[in-house]
Amino acid sequence: MLEQMIQMAGWIVLQTAILLLLAPLVQGLIKKSKARLQSRIGPSILQPSYDIIKYLKKDAVISDKASWLTRVAPYIAFTAVITAGLLVPTFIVNAPLGVAGDIIMVIYLLGLARFFTALAALDAGSSFGGMGSSREMALGAIIEPAFLLALFTVCLLSGTTKLGQIVQVMSGKEWALIDPSYALAFLAMFIVVIAETGRIPVDNPDTHLELTMIHEGMLLEYSGRYLGLMLWAAEIKQLIMLNLFISAFLPWGMALDWSSIGAGAAIFIYGLKLALLGILLAVIETAYAKMRLYKVPKLLAASMALSVLAVIMRVVM
Amino acid sequence: MLKNKKLFLTRIKQQLGEKILSFTIRQPNETEIVVKKDQLAEVCRFLCQEKEGRLFTMVGSDEREFAGSFVLYYVFSFDETQQFITVKTMTPEEDSTFPSLAAEFPALNWYEREVKDLLGLRPQGHPDLRPLILHGDWPEEIHPLRKEFDVSQNAPRVKSRESFMQYEGDEVTEIPVGPIHAGIIEPGHFRFGAVGDTVLYLDARLFFTHRGLEKASEGMPLSKALFLAERICGVCALSHAVSFAQAVEAAAAVEIPLRAKYLRTLFLELERLYNHIGDVGNICAGFGFAVGVSQGTILREELLMLNERIAGHRYLRGIVDLGGVRFDIAHPDYADILSTLNKIEIGFTELVDILLSHDIAVDRMSKTGILTLKQANDLEVVGVAARASGRNIDIRRDQPYAAYDKVSFTVPVYTEGDVLARIRVRIDEVFQSISIIRQIFIQMPTGDVSVGLPPISPYARGMGWVESSKGETVHWLMTGPNETVERYRVRSATYSNWPAVALAVPGNIVPDFPLINKSFELCYACCDR
Repeated sequence: MLEQMIQMAGWIVLQTAILLLLAPLVQGLIKKSKARLQSRIGPSILQPSYDIIKYLKKDAVISDKASWLTRVAPYIAFTAVITAGLLVPTFIVNAPLGVAGDIIMVIYLLGLARFFTALAALDAGSSFGGMGSSREMALGAIIEPAFLLALFTVCLLSGTTKLGQIVQVMSGKEWALIDPSYALAFLAMFIVVIAETGRIPVDNPDTHLELTMIHEGMLLEYSGRYLGLMLWAAEIKQLIMLNLFISAFLPWGMALDWSSIGAGAAIFIYGLKLALLGILLAVIETAYAKMRLYKVPKLLAASMALSVLAVIMRVVM
Repeated sequence: MLKNKKLFLTRIKQQLGEKILSFTIRQPNETEIVVKKDQLAEVCRFLCQEKEGRLFTMVGSDEREFAGSFVLYYVFSFDETQQFITVKTMTPEEDSTFPSLAAEFPALNWYEREVKDLLGLRPQGHPDLRPLILHGDWPEEIHPLRKEFDVSQNAPRVKSRESFMQYEGDEVTEIPVGPIHAGIIEPGHFRFGAVGDTVLYLDARLFFTHRGLEKASEGMPLSKALFLAERICGVCALSHAVSFAQAVEAAAAVEIPLRAKYLRTLFLELERLYNHIGDVGNICAGFGFAVGVSQGTILREELLMLNERIAGHRYLRGIVDLGGVRFDIAHPDYADILSTLNKIEIGFTELVDILLSHDIAVDRMSKTGILTLKQANDLEVVGVAARASGRNIDIRRDQPYAAYDKVSFTVPVYTEGDVLARIRVRIDEVFQSISIIRQIFIQMPTGDVSVGLPPISPYARGMGWVESSKGETVHWLMTGPNETVERYRVRSATYSNWPAVALAVPGNIVPDFPLINKSFELCYACCDR
């Protein structure tokens, strides 16, 4: 019993470390790929990590109009996101907190982080924060159902909402996994990943134009360590979205137990999948431009339609 | 043509008859009409509406020392006969007011407020008397362009009189933006009244970079003031320098050598090229299209490096001299320019193909930020924005200067008035500019590149104008004793076009504002001076 608990604790620490360290690296990789695609040299892959270290060392300036909410929100968002991250498998078929919650828990932990970020953005009374949070919540109301629908297709495929079991079932199917409904759900989920990570064509993470911002707009009032935490949380959330995507749609090569050879290979394959997905996001971001704000719901509606088709196909076939 | 001009002027003189005090032909292309203040409205109405003149610039000047009163000049351009008519009216110090025509000619709104701020003459009947050039914390009774105001004087700051549009109702959100922005952008304060994300009204507060350049130029030797003109704005440096030089040359009644004219044309087109190509790239940043931004930047950089190689300055400063240009270029430069342009033409064609076949990009640009022809005409909008709204003006063709009467080019005109039309005008003009430069090298005459100026008599007037990449830029100059500046008024393209931005935005959504603003691409420094 004690041994099991130590093992569990060790796993939690390991997965937390993976989330904390890997998230800025993935961000760095995406930025670097984007720069190369745009004929720029771009900053080092480690730059987002350096940035976070820099922000965490800095003191924060907070508006005197802001309440305690502004101070507390980054911690809540950060904790919620990390907890969600511990529910999603990375390179091994189960997640450390897999016993504690399922897919729906992940979605709503991310929803909690979104809620507090938006609330804190309204707190200081700046108009950019208000615009950012109103846009984020309006889009969130459409992203969440699209997200749920896309994952339900997967749940239907595997007959459970537990991520660990989903991965086991999915990877057990080997190549038989790929069928029309899989392809439709794959696309639906990919659109959700783009929307949830705040990337083009939904949001532009690199813009300095305050009036066009969605997620960045909510962070404009933050500085120093609070900003660092918020940015880190956003990067971890991005990693979680990719982890979810990998677990549900690219489960091949994941380790089934902790045997050293299997785990080693699985870590390598996991890294490869992340890198490829990151580069794919960068390619999409370079090839597309940002859509008109009021056309974004149509894109998400398309994702939902794909999910519904996938579900129907699953039931009919 | 000459006969037409004469006929045109004689008819105007006859029709105005008693209303005018005097009618003088000052220069082959400029006629001065002196009127009493109370006849001003009628004469301007006649010139604008019946003779289809367009307001070119309006200048207020403190001439109490040598003429005994303040003087207002309204310059109208008659593109068809290539004429200017200046309507001049005097107002003594005791009665420091003048009739406002802004309600009838919206384009005069800013000019009249500027005269009020800087000279302290009140436009009577002006619908919007808020401070314009000087911000609300500047004392209301201090007017910098009056001669008694000393440049070194520090004006005390008072409680701000700034006010913005007031909104009623809970649904309207007021969104203040700037003057300090997140990117490296010049300062401007924008206040949106918005319902949700839809803009109802836009209040733009500019003139944060008002440096009092016109005041600073007073008493400055003309040769030194040229450097001041060159530094009004970074990306229009050459346009301002050429405009100023042309104003001085007009005051001195001097013709510059033909080769100098060609060289000025060449450099002016190079300035347009790097601006237009850079602007096309920059507009892409408005909808986050990174490929467009980076390709635009790369092409612009190629052109800036070309500028440095042939002129020694990336932004083409230090080229123009009063009476010509400062240096000549040789055959290796010709080859360098032509081969760089060939490269640019290929790269730019590729960029345009990508951009105009990109669905999201075209969707973001079309029907966004529409400026109607009526609005453009009422505000006397110039340049790219005018041509994109169907207003067919281009001062290179309409009142040719430098060597523009010797090269052939077409003026692209679109009627949609949206962001897409504005980017299309720029794209077409890039190819026209390349063609103009090629023609220059075929025609380039030999000879001197500058001529000495004769002594210029005090209180001589001259006007210089250039179609910069933003639109027509007009410099109005009156010389003082010993070849100094007495009064210098810069009316840049952006000064004419800023009020139009505020009209193009309402009805669009807030996140489209940066895109609309970029499509006008107005410099703040040019406007604020």
